Amino acid sequence: MLCKSVKKGSLQLVCLAAILSLLPAAALAQYHPKDTEWPSYAADLHGTRYRPLDQINASNFNDLEIAWRIKTDNFGDRPEYKLEGTPLMVNGVLYATAGSRRAVIAVDPESGELLWIHGEHEGKRGGAAPRQLSGRGLAYWSDGKEERILYVTPAFRLICLNAKTGQRVSSFGENGRVDLKLNDDQTISDWNDKHEWVPNTETGEIGIQSAPVVAGDTVIVGAAFREGMTPRSMRNNKGYVRGFDVRTGKRLWIFHTIPKKGEFGYDTWLDGSAEYTGNTGVWSQISVDEKLGLVYLPVESPTSDFYGGHRPGNNLFGETLVCVDLKTGERKWHFQLVHHPLWDMDISSAPILADITVDGKPVKAVAQPTKQGFLYMFDRVTGKPIWPMPETPVEVGNVPSEWYSKTQPIPSKPPAYARNGVSIDDLIDFTPAMRERAKEIASKYHLGPVFTPPTVSNLDGTLGTLTMGTASGGTNWPGGSYDPEKHIAYLYACNSCIEPIGLVPAPKEVSDMRYVAGVAGREVQIMRGPGENAGADSPKPPKKRPASQYQRLEVDGLPIVKPPYGTISAINLDKGELIWQVAHGETPDVVRNSELLKGMNVARTGQETYNVGTLVTKSLVIAGEAQVTTTADHPRGAMLRAYDKTTGKEVGAVYMPAPQSGSPMTYMIHGKQYIVVATSGGASSGEYIAYTLPAAGE
Amino acid sequence: MRKLLLILVPAFLVSSLGIVRAQAPAESHSVWDGVYTEEQAKRGETVYQKECAACHGAQLTGGESAPPLAGGVFQANWNGLTLGDLFDRIRKTMPLSKPNSLPRQQVADVLAFMLSNNKFPAGKAELYRQSEMLKEIRFETKKPAAKD
Repeated sequence: MLCKSVKKGSLQLVCLAAILSLLPAAALAQYHPKDTEWPSYAADLHGTRYRPLDQINASNFNDLEIAWRIKTDNFGDRPEYKLEGTPLMVNGVLYATAGSRRAVIAVDPESGELLWIHGEHEGKRGGAAPRQLSGRGLAYWSDGKEERILYVTPAFRLICLNAKTGQRVSSFGENGRVDLKLNDDQTISDWNDKHEWVPNTETGEIGIQSAPVVAGDTVIVGAAFREGMTPRSMRNNKGYVRGFDVRTGKRLWIFHTIPKKGEFGYDTWLDGSAEYTGNTGVWSQISVDEKLGLVYLPVESPTSDFYGGHRPGNNLFGETLVCVDLKTGERKWHFQLVHHPLWDMDISSAPILADITVDGKPVKAVAQPTKQGFLYMFDRVTGKPIWPMPETPVEVGNVPSEWYSKTQPIPSKPPAYARNGVSIDDLIDFTPAMRERAKEIASKYHLGPVFTPPTVSNLDGTLGTLTMGTASGGTNWPGGSYDPEKHIAYLYACNSCIEPIGLVPAPKEVSDMRYVAGVAGREVQIMRGPGENAGADSPKPPKKRPASQYQRLEVDGLPIVKPPYGTISAINLDKGELIWQVAHGETPDVVRNSELLKGMNVARTGQETYNVGTLVTKSLVIAGEAQVTTTADHPRGAMLRAYDKTTGKEVGAVYMPAPQSGSPMTYMIHGKQYIVVATSGGASSGEYIAYTLPAAGE
Repeated sequence: MRKLLLILVPAFLVSSLGIVRAQAPAESHSVWDGVYTEEQAKRGETVYQKECAACHGAQLTGGESAPPLAGGVFQANWNGLTLGDLFDRIRKTMPLSKPNSLPRQQVADVLAFMLSNNKFPAGKAELYRQSEMLKEIRFETKKPAAKD
């Protein structure tokens, strides 16, 4: 009543908010997230990355100013250059992971003032973690009275904090901590100096980067490992998924992503290979339908991304979308997207839960964006594909001792939204000379459509299979966005992340695998990522071909494939149709400034980055660039772009001093809308930057 | 003869000490001026394979946890900055598992290897290991126009 006399618009909202803030906290009977908040990593448990806010719109996006910035340099023992977090904003506080030890910070969402910080000092176990730095986010829980923040540290501990003070909640687990390397239905192990696989929670490989998920009173955590192109062994720890009681930290359930003997799916691992194969975790974001009580798990590749000869069989539940019960973890249904995975097609992002209308009938659907550029859509209750996904014959490879699936399911609808094979037609074609040069390079590789198998790398034959839509193709960890009003999914994809997949025999002192990823003529390079004493198992220097003679997959410094290099696609989920697709990102400097293209009118190409997250609001799709450019319009930096969500037309862009490295989020507080995005990379250490409209009168 | 001596002596200093540089030309001092030696790049390759390749790849193409260190994307990140910026970034924060552990000379050698891999020309003098000297060398992706 009091606010009615106030003029309409934001002032009325401010008045209302002012009155609400006077209410005692106990008046909130139960926690109900508001549309103006961002209470979960992906905005909500359905993976939508959507907020119905419109104060920032096409008419004013270009006017955005930086409201505040937080550098994460001093939140750990050194600056970090890979800040991938999406903050949360709930009940008037912004929370984020930040800094090299993955501390948690609470920040005033209007001023950026630091309210509290909490960091776990994990010593050697932290240093050995397969996934380091600040990670991708955290989770919030409230029963209307208590508020908690939950996150997983690099050393794989689930921490529960009092959201008001940042102190560990002593009644949760052991003094606020649950050691995730324990109570995991397996003994986390590592190799000792004698090449024996022995229990070791300090250095045993398992960890995570993504945010845990809180649904009801359950907190769900997956698992991640090192990159899997050149595994040290066919044996590894397994990536089971667990649900814990959010109040006590007690383990409620566990789902075995690699079945144990006697469990369904065990026989899809021939020769008993389920016993020793590992990985197969859920390292990405988990989605939940709280009403249905169902959890959707996007599962990654089993041990060894590109060679599966030690794990013959289809390998359930590798690269499988699994639906489990929220209370018990019991499998309700599953669909394996890739049988006997050989292309590192981890299901890399949050399943999107969408209530759509297909042929006039309402359907509770789940839509899964992927690296391979397919959006797989299912009835999320029954697991039945919305449109047929016929088992389609694919090329069977000839790598000795490999096992192949003769078919793969290929969705009939929607159409692929990113390139997922390589043909001559995909090669650079700015000029005929460039196309010829590209053909010459490509002639050393095996080309083919999606699911063309890797080959042994051979100096006299093919160096490998040239692929797109594999390791860093299509949609990766940032996932997609979904507009629940219009039933449209917005998906960023790398359309040019080309990956040569060749296999070489692995020397016994380096791996017990028969084959690992590599290039003929070079010493095997074991890719480990951080968390390992880099000097310990270093390979000998190459004898035959120095790195400088490696044939890069580029032509005159330009990407070997033609544009668009990166895209945002809008897909109507009711119809399974692509509505629009635009190149996202300024044309890279190397293309724009190329002497060879001088005078040519090259349309914006987008960028070959794999990790761009989108945000969708009432009228806009918002995404920043993950690559630095220097143009006539801006100094070295990147742009945060806004597109009209109906047409894909760019309606605004503001400058970021560094590339986007985390996914943008938005919230409204005291009548003002903010957009916050994590930036980092190259010369720029991590920084969360908040944008807002200038105050009236500025 | 004296003129010849004036020319020969500085050249001798450059080649024997590897420290003294000929006076920089009036306009630019950038990665296009031959700021490292091939010998240094070879040393750097050995250090790189041992300390960096596990994340950044044997061919500098990058991996899941680490970006590429050669090519357009990498160069765009550093265009307009100096080798001092890149050197300090490596020295203070790399390798990720034990930052600040490589001696300056090794960092300079790795940087030389990276420059070589990015096809910047080699020259007669080694790349400096002092940050303040490296700050004088601009990282420019665009090759300057040929001088007359």
